[in-house]
Amino acid sequence: MSGEAMTESKAAAGGAKPRAELGRVLRWGALAVALLIVAPFVLDTYTVNILIRALFLAALALTVDILWGYTGVLTFGQSAFFGIGAYACGLVFTHYGFGPGWAVLALAAGILAAMAVGLLVGWLAFYHGASPLYASIVTLALPIVLTQVVFAGGRFTGSSSGLSGFPTYYWDLEVWFWIAGAFLILVTCLAVLFVRSDMGRVLVAIRENEMRCAYLGIPVSRIKILLMVVMGGIGAVSGFGYAAFTNVVAPELTGFLLGTELLIWVALGGRGTIIGPVIGTIAIDVTSSYLSGSLPFVWKLLIGIAFVLVIVALPQGLLPELGKGLRRLLRRQPAAKPAPELRPARSRVVAAGAAAPLVVEGVARHFGSLRVLQDISFKVGRGELLSLVGPNGAGKTTLIRCLADGMERSGGRVVIFGKDLGRWPPDRCVALGIGRKFQAASIYETLTVAECLRLARYRLEPFSLWQASPILELPEAALRIVSETGLAERLDIEVRHLSHGQKQALDLAMVLALEPTIVLLDEPTAGLTKTERERIGGILTSLVERERLSVLLVEHDLDFVRQISSRVIVMHQGRIVLDGSVAEVVDSELVREIYAGSGHEPAPAGGTA
Amino acid sequence: MSVLILDIVTTAAILFTVATGLMIILGVMKLINFAHGAFLTIGGYAAYIATVAGWSPWAAIPFAAVVGLVLGLVVEYVIVRPLYARPLDAILATWGLGIIIGQLITIGFGREVQFVEPPISGAVEFLGLSYSTYRLLLVLVAVVIGAGLTGLLYFTRFGLNARAVIMNEDLARGLGIDSTKVRLATFGLGAALASVAGALITPLVSVDPNLGLPWLVNSFMLVLASGVSIPGLMIVSLLLGGAQVVVSTYVSPIIGGLTIVVLAALILRLRPQGIG
Amino acid sequence: MSAESVLEVAGVSSGYGEATVVRDVSLSVKAGEIVALLGKNGMGKSTLLKTIMGYLPVQKGAVAILQNDVTREPPHRIAGRGVAYSPQAEAIFHDLTVRENLVLGMPDPRGFDAEFARICGIFPFMKDRLAQRAGTLSGGEQKMLILARALMARPKLILIDEITEGLQPSVIDRLGKALLDERENTGVSIFLVEQHIQFALRVADRWAVLKLGEIDDAGDCAASGAAVRIADHLAV
Repeated sequence: MSGEAMTESKAAAGGAKPRAELGRVLRWGALAVALLIVAPFVLDTYTVNILIRALFLAALALTVDILWGYTGVLTFGQSAFFGIGAYACGLVFTHYGFGPGWAVLALAAGILAAMAVGLLVGWLAFYHGASPLYASIVTLALPIVLTQVVFAGGRFTGSSSGLSGFPTYYWDLEVWFWIAGAFLILVTCLAVLFVRSDMGRVLVAIRENEMRCAYLGIPVSRIKILLMVVMGGIGAVSGFGYAAFTNVVAPELTGFLLGTELLIWVALGGRGTIIGPVIGTIAIDVTSSYLSGSLPFVWKLLIGIAFVLVIVALPQGLLPELGKGLRRLLRRQPAAKPAPELRPARSRVVAAGAAAPLVVEGVARHFGSLRVLQDISFKVGRGELLSLVGPNGAGKTTLIRCLADGMERSGGRVVIFGKDLGRWPPDRCVALGIGRKFQAASIYETLTVAECLRLARYRLEPFSLWQASPILELPEAALRIVSETGLAERLDIEVRHLSHGQKQALDLAMVLALEPTIVLLDEPTAGLTKTERERIGGILTSLVERERLSVLLVEHDLDFVRQISSRVIVMHQGRIVLDGSVAEVVDSELVREIYAGSGHEPAPAGGTA
Repeated sequence: MSVLILDIVTTAAILFTVATGLMIILGVMKLINFAHGAFLTIGGYAAYIATVAGWSPWAAIPFAAVVGLVLGLVVEYVIVRPLYARPLDAILATWGLGIIIGQLITIGFGREVQFVEPPISGAVEFLGLSYSTYRLLLVLVAVVIGAGLTGLLYFTRFGLNARAVIMNEDLARGLGIDSTKVRLATFGLGAALASVAGALITPLVSVDPNLGLPWLVNSFMLVLASGVSIPGLMIVSLLLGGAQVVVSTYVSPIIGGLTIVVLAALILRLRPQGIG
Repeated sequence: MSAESVLEVAGVSSGYGEATVVRDVSLSVKAGEIVALLGKNGMGKSTLLKTIMGYLPVQKGAVAILQNDVTREPPHRIAGRGVAYSPQAEAIFHDLTVRENLVLGMPDPRGFDAEFARICGIFPFMKDRLAQRAGTLSGGEQKMLILARALMARPKLILIDEITEGLQPSVIDRLGKALLDERENTGVSIFLVEQHIQFALRVADRWAVLKLGEIDDAGDCAASGAAVRIADHLAV
């Protein structure tokens, strides 16, 4: 995930677009800084005071947007990190000392503590196979636990009344305003660059289809944990600033209610937009402060109603809806995402060692007493196109799962180029050379064609944290698909606008972009027209003949199987019944029986089942 | 020691009673109703209205049930139904609903703690100790609710339909069961149960607009840990409720307040499908 | 639309999401008729049944049951019109008892005892099994339970998806006989999806073959050479 290293020529050719993005962000940032400098002299003291708090809270809301809006992790717990930063400030200044050195120490302590807690929470919540609900539960438990810990702290933490009046920097309001504002502007600019970068697209992919990401080799759990740690740290800095300014720390700052308020601000402002939650937080918090004197309950009621309305009917949020409306009024099109330039990737030499690409030994899969797969053993060599056929329930898809996910099988071994698959999760299996294409084209509807293809390159290329790379390198097989199916002209089109056949082609291109040595396909021709079928057949055949990959496909279209396979394995009720050439299988009496469904068990004497 | 056991049993009964409404909604609709706390509060205020209107305190319970039911039906139709395919958003929307209800109650009744007439007060003497009659009564109530729900689920056509929908909604629909109606009725029932529970706990808590909030998270953790089954909920209520009582008594009430949440999170980490 | 048709599928295309699995299929089942739809795996047979039953949206065309347009009706409404549907997978509630599974087949459970007596005449083994958990029945018994449930409510149309899969010949015979008897006694119409050619020819009046989502061929079961023609289409 380091920043992309560019040669001079690349920089010249492709540097224009990311620089344009950076330029835009800097311009808006400069404008915001200008506003920031002027504002305290234009607004009255009360407003400035409220704004300072709102600015710190807006930075916190931004972290929620990154976790929830972009990555899809519904978190109630960012308030906990805010509270940790706040209490670091309060505790150190109250009990230990005050001064520049102490301030730096307190800030560092707060950040480190928050990051440690973030690591713990991440480890607990984002284990492989965790449900999103469980992750939310953990983030919900976090602020509750923290609040109780504060209560239990007695005089040290100030318990329910908190700590106040500790020594702090009693600078002028303007100074605090500039500090809070500068922090917010900095975090916002970095966040905008981050979410528009290649890494930012990974977050969106995780939100839309986490499982598919694993099969593209993306280490989802690690990314989420790292994200939680970093967002925790930023939250702590916000909290520290807030406490230093307001001169009060109380358990409410760590609590569940603040955590839910953050979600409300993000939802209303517009989740997944960065700017929306920032503006939303400032607007709502400031208005709340104004109305807290006169109509506190009606205001909260209105917010509650707006929140429910947004969740049910306008999930994008109020600001984006307004933005859409304005654009329609002004007849402006939304800015098109720039398309990167396609380049062939440097071919990676696959070691032509003696080890067979795929060896399957005694693989079995059961669910309790139900045996779905038993005693599956076979080998696949280089340049083989092996078709898996058999009636429904034979276990074909289960077998594919066992080959692509080390945790799936109940017994037996799977060895790829001499390396045992063991219990590796799907993203590690990709590293060993497995590329799996699912039956339904499971692609990311809101990403562009180019962004989807780039995701597949995660393991093979550095992913920038601050820009979208202007170059997209693909291996020859993927490039061929992309140009033959017209996807090359649609790189900047969002996937949801593609036809079914194009989505299937993109899905296949993504799998090939992984540069796999073994390609697993589940019913690749399902729902395709005759022409599309022929094209896929041609692509698969050339993969096997030109690139010498090993291809394993599950198919029901037996004509298709007959045309392109070099070998066929017939499965029935969880076992392999025949493994041979196309001719052997087609002529086999046993296979005919299986497909005609006349049953293969002899009836017991006596008749009843 | 015997007081401790009684505390554990009565606490478990109270937790069970409060959580059942949430559980049937989660079971049938696969949805976490974050407005559960607000429905508890509504029940508490229903009891308050009964006190102010001069009715018998026992009348509060059916009154709370009716209010909860009607409100539940409306909420399911307007807010929950559109979010069928978005379970995380449904959590947020029901939380928002809880805010709305809380604010309406505050606007209508004010923020102060209200006094509610308890149906029974005093203590019962037995085995050499004196224990709150009402708390013991709640154990009976919990048993009745558990038995009633089990009866509904296993001895009525509605219960059979509901179980079919829980197990395989598509198959149930193919057999003529209108799963939408089942879900509507279930939400109404869940809301009614929450409301009744709220009315029942008024002698033990302060009746203010935030009555239900502390019970929400505990209920939700218990229901998830229970594996969404009635016996499962009884077991976790006893185990985790018992743990809470023990920790509160021997360590500190503050840490005790955390026991259920922490233990449930650990149970779910080790056994994501819960105990039941 | 003929006056006697119980099921009328007119130019229906459907599939999953944007994929079109069933293309422009037209067929009809008249009152008291048994029609078999054959085809290899993945050709769209189950998809067609699910579309008729309302689980999948119709992309083009229309479906009518008992002369009522049900193209946009949800499954429970279609079931309420007297249609019994037996899906290929997950067709019973494993954790419910045999009795509960059967009751669920009847919108009005009051006639249970009488109907159950009738069913025991067809499948005698059920007499003592009412309290048994359905998941503990053998494979063949489970399929018989599915058919029994379908017959409990005296439907007007039965849709069956590959009921013979994985069964022993003796059980397959019992099922076939039960279907034919029921049609004799009650005039029910049956539309069955199959890969078992012998079974289909024995039970049905007419046959059709579905290939890659389209009707490829059709004919009468009684006509000579039907078996060979169908076998050709389904050849490996």
